[in-house]
Amino acid sequence: MDNIIFELKNVSFSYLGKYPALRGIDMAIKKGQKAAVIGANGTGKSTLLEVLDGLIFPDSGTVKTFGEELTESALADKDFLRNFRSKVGFVFQNSDVQLFCPTVKEDILFGPLQLGLSPKEANARLEALMEIIDIRVLLDRPPHHLSMGEKKKAAILSSLAIEPEVLILDEPTAGLDPATVRQIIDAVIDANSFGKTIITATHDLHIVEEIADIVYVFGSDRRICRYGDAAEILKDTEFLKANNLVHIHSHRHKEQIHIHSHSHIEHHVP
Amino acid sequence: MSNSNRFIERSIMGALSFLKEAIYADEYASRKGFLQGLDPRIKAVTFILFLTQILLTKSVIVLLFLYALCLLLAKISRIDLWFFLKRTWVFIPLFTLFVAIPSLFSAFSPGEALITFKIFGINFIITRQGFQGAVLFVARVITSVSFAVLLSITTRHFQLLKVLRIFKIPQVFVMVIGMCYRYIYLFVEIIENTYRAVKSRAGASIHYKKGQSIAAWNIAYLWARSYQLNEEVYNAMLSRGYSGEPVVSDDFKAKAKDWLWLFCVSLMFIAAAAYL
Ligand SMILES: Nc1ncnc2c1ncn2[C@@H]1O[C@H](COP(=O)(O)OP(=O)(O)OP(=O)(O)O)[C@@H](O)[C@H]1O
Ligand SMILES: [Mg+2]
Repeated sequence: MDNIIFELKNVSFSYLGKYPALRGIDMAIKKGQKAAVIGANGTGKSTLLEVLDGLIFPDSGTVKTFGEELTESALADKDFLRNFRSKVGFVFQNSDVQLFCPTVKEDILFGPLQLGLSPKEANARLEALMEIIDIRVLLDRPPHHLSMGEKKKAAILSSLAIEPEVLILDEPTAGLDPATVRQIIDAVIDANSFGKTIITATHDLHIVEEIADIVYVFGSDRRICRYGDAAEILKDTEFLKANNLVHIHSHRHKEQIHIHSHSHIEHHVP
Repeated sequence: MSNSNRFIERSIMGALSFLKEAIYADEYASRKGFLQGLDPRIKAVTFILFLTQILLTKSVIVLLFLYALCLLLAKISRIDLWFFLKRTWVFIPLFTLFVAIPSLFSAFSPGEALITFKIFGINFIITRQGFQGAVLFVARVITSVSFAVLLSITTRHFQLLKVLRIFKIPQVFVMVIGMCYRYIYLFVEIIENTYRAVKSRAGASIHYKKGQSIAAWNIAYLWARSYQLNEEVYNAMLSRGYSGEPVVSDDFKAKAKDWLWLFCVSLMFIAAAAYL
């Protein structure tokens, strides 16, 4: 099928052959879809995204992208590599590793220049990106001096700069203040409205409804334990609690301590 | 914490922040000064000429002249001279201690006695040849270090890497240097953070035996962590289309100014060679 961007069949991966991180994953992500991968810490979300971006390769099972198989030998082909890299953008969980140039500006230009754009075209893209998230004041600063939120914005722009068809984000909002979260979500939704496919890994349920139509829930056995419509899964508090995705809040009422689960969503849906 | 512990702590933190500042002050490379405006290739060639001259000359006068020129270049490249002096002279004590001071004495540099003194009944003789040799040595070190530092702080590291490629240095080396540059910084940050974390968890005092084992564990952890970081940074580069050759945003173009500068430096080189 043409409109399937990623198709995974029975994919398993383990680190160093002994630490399992993915077990028997099946998945199909369609063009223009917003998908979220949620799960507690260490359930394999980042690992899955790295498989999708062709940075690591499964021990068994197959990954297809744009109808072709994604393997190490396929990526050795220059045309395939260039094509794939220009179609898929990846925002890493750790912005420190993603920003490796001397200045933020060069980091944003890095992708476009690698993919063969002229400096003039690349600069035009930079200007256009500043309309989405304005970080003009940061452009000439070295990335390692920025705050976490500033780094995240720079990292997202540096991935958007290659104008990918698919944007993969690993924990894009972890540890950021509400205004910055808003800016980032808006940028992502904006990209989706132009037909870009969005795949996000997160355990921040606040943002799931906005950035996802479909949700894949990873369990502690490193398998997909449920997938489906975002709103439906978010309503199932018992299920989310069983997967360590909702807080157990403890409140003090008068002299009694009473403990109940708390999914946050009820409070935040407008 | 005992006083000596605090002293060690301060020195460690001081050394780390110095290292960070010393290697990562990118701001100078983006100022609009004389050296920043030159074509990186031509700049590199002329600095190699300077360094060759420094190594070949036996005249302290020539070295002093070159050193003055270097400070002048720093000045017109809008580099804070005080910062520059601090950064370059910090290397001198090390060299002086291990090379220059022993060479002062007759045992290493035989010749006319200049100064003689006695410690614990042993005669120390500083010879004239030894003294001249030591002065020449120190002058040579400070001048070459100054030029090397000046080149590195007025050039973007990506451009330096590209110049290395143009000079036909194999790809692997260039890539390794590039990686080192990027992740020494992360490495330093990890040391700082781990150090702070240990301090905050262990409170005010760590028994020194315990401190030692934490340090040993940390070093093992650091190697593993830095290896992993290296891999992650590399992945991040791959993900954005890197396939072995970094593309630098402005492709180099030598202008009249660059050729004029190359001409002047070459002329000076030849003149000095004739004079010697
Ligand atoms: N480099 C590695 N070497 C060995 N094991 C690893 C490595 N990276 C991850 N793992 C293991 O693989 C499993 C999945 O890790 P992964 O980073 O994909 O989880 P995650 O869902 O992204 O977690 P988080 O929410 O904390 O980011 C974990 O059990 C982890 O310990
Ligand atoms: Mg993760």
